[in-house]
Amino acid sequence: MRQIKKTVKLLRRSPYQALAAGLAMTLTFFVASIFAVLIIGGQIVLNYVEQRPQVIAFFKDDASQTKINDIIAKVKSTGLAKDVKYVTKEEALAIYRERNKDEPLLLESVSADFLPASIDISVNKAGDIGAVTQAVKGEPEIERVITPQNLVEQLVKWTSTIRAGGIVFVTALLAISFLIIIMVVGMRIALRRDEISIMNLVGATKWYIARPFLAEGAVYGVIGASISTFLIYALLLIYSRSIQNFLGPIQVFPISPLFFIYLWVGEALLAAAVGVSGAAIALYRYLKIK
Amino acid sequence: MIQFESVTKKYPNGQIALEDIDLKIEDGEFVFLVGPSGAGKTSLLRLFTREIWPSAGRILFNEEDILKIPSSKIPYLRRKIGTVFQDFKLLLTRTLFENVAVPLEVVSKSEKEIEETVSGVLEKVGLLEKADMFPAQLSGGEVQRTAIARAIVSKPSVLLADEPTGDLDPKTALSIVKLLEKINEEDKTTVIMATHNAQIVNHFKKRVVYLKNGKIEKDEKEGKYEAD
Repeated sequence: MRQIKKTVKLLRRSPYQALAAGLAMTLTFFVASIFAVLIIGGQIVLNYVEQRPQVIAFFKDDASQTKINDIIAKVKSTGLAKDVKYVTKEEALAIYRERNKDEPLLLESVSADFLPASIDISVNKAGDIGAVTQAVKGEPEIERVITPQNLVEQLVKWTSTIRAGGIVFVTALLAISFLIIIMVVGMRIALRRDEISIMNLVGATKWYIARPFLAEGAVYGVIGASISTFLIYALLLIYSRSIQNFLGPIQVFPISPLFFIYLWVGEALLAAAVGVSGAAIALYRYLKIK
Repeated sequence: MIQFESVTKKYPNGQIALEDIDLKIEDGEFVFLVGPSGAGKTSLLRLFTREIWPSAGRILFNEEDILKIPSSKIPYLRRKIGTVFQDFKLLLTRTLFENVAVPLEVVSKSEKEIEETVSGVLEKVGLLEKADMFPAQLSGGEVQRTAIARAIVSKPSVLLADEPTGDLDPKTALSIVKLLEKINEEDKTTVIMATHNAQIVNHFKKRVVYLKNGKIEKDEKEGKYEAD
């Protein structure tokens, strides 16, 4: 309790420095939160796309069932396919009817003979799409192969770029926050030099003298992480409808409250570590006691 | 018991503050450390609190060589020694009560214990009614009594007082030393007072250790001091 009082007293003594340190931490972890959401969101989109059949191979009308079975076996034998699903002409018609049930004109003239049988292939990794496509493309029974390979590649590229950019940007901001904490705590040590000297002479241990400064560093971190988590929560709440509309069938909302709890705990721990390390460096650098 | 054995202190600029000092002070003694400015009085006191390090010799406190105490344990040594500093070293932004409470806070005493102990000590030095005042609101003598209160609040076995009567008028100076004498007699605290106030030294008829140019020139049981 006494430690909390001391830390609050320290913060109140020079509120502008405290504000600067708190804002730097908030900005850092707000940006980190945005990148975290983008990276996780990107991963959800990528997972969604990866779970769809990524390669659809349509058979020629005259393809025999034996050949179709051979091709399915061949695809499975590559070890690259997670799932291979054979869609007969009748099943294709059923899917067509389901998709166009509100358009009677489109249903009228279509029979099973109009639609080709196909195999829907889900691959283990997005990077395997090319190899699987090549494996089926050469078969004479295959009429056409369609693949969303470009979309997946683009998504993979974007998520990687966001991840790399996020790491660089957040690391730079962390470094700035770290330096600001060193500066602020260093100034506080200078302001309290007389007090520290007296405490040292009357028998205070180094730990006793250092403790309030370390606690101050941790407080900056936890405050910054808490505000940033709250901001990102509020933003996602406000824009959830627009984001969901943009993503279409990819279901992202509602986001589990656990996500925000994990985000807050993770950021608070990291921020406290940054704050305490910054304060520790300032103490090492400026606290010269005999 | 405090023992200085062949202690020499030479500062990096070449100045010799103390040279081959041999001094033994028994528990409960009252010793005046006298001599002109620059004689080495303050250096001797600072060596004992290990604020500075000797160039040679040994310093024993209760038969323990304080120079062998690791840095991390020095605070525990200092808790046994109360110091009244030449420049008081009071915190101007804290009240008398808060200033006196500092040595108890650093050993994490409870608020109740601090309240009781500080009030008791302030009463002993005659400043209880001024507990909520700030150092700037006090007279020189009161500031000095506050510094003494802070030095004795944790009941040290040794009290070091460095020129505690420095800027005080003779009457106030006398009252301050009487207070130190009272602490020495009532609490059996060893008191080492550095001063160059001959009038005070001669009034109290205590042991006098005379330092000049870093050396002990005289060490008398009921000594006299004639200022240079």
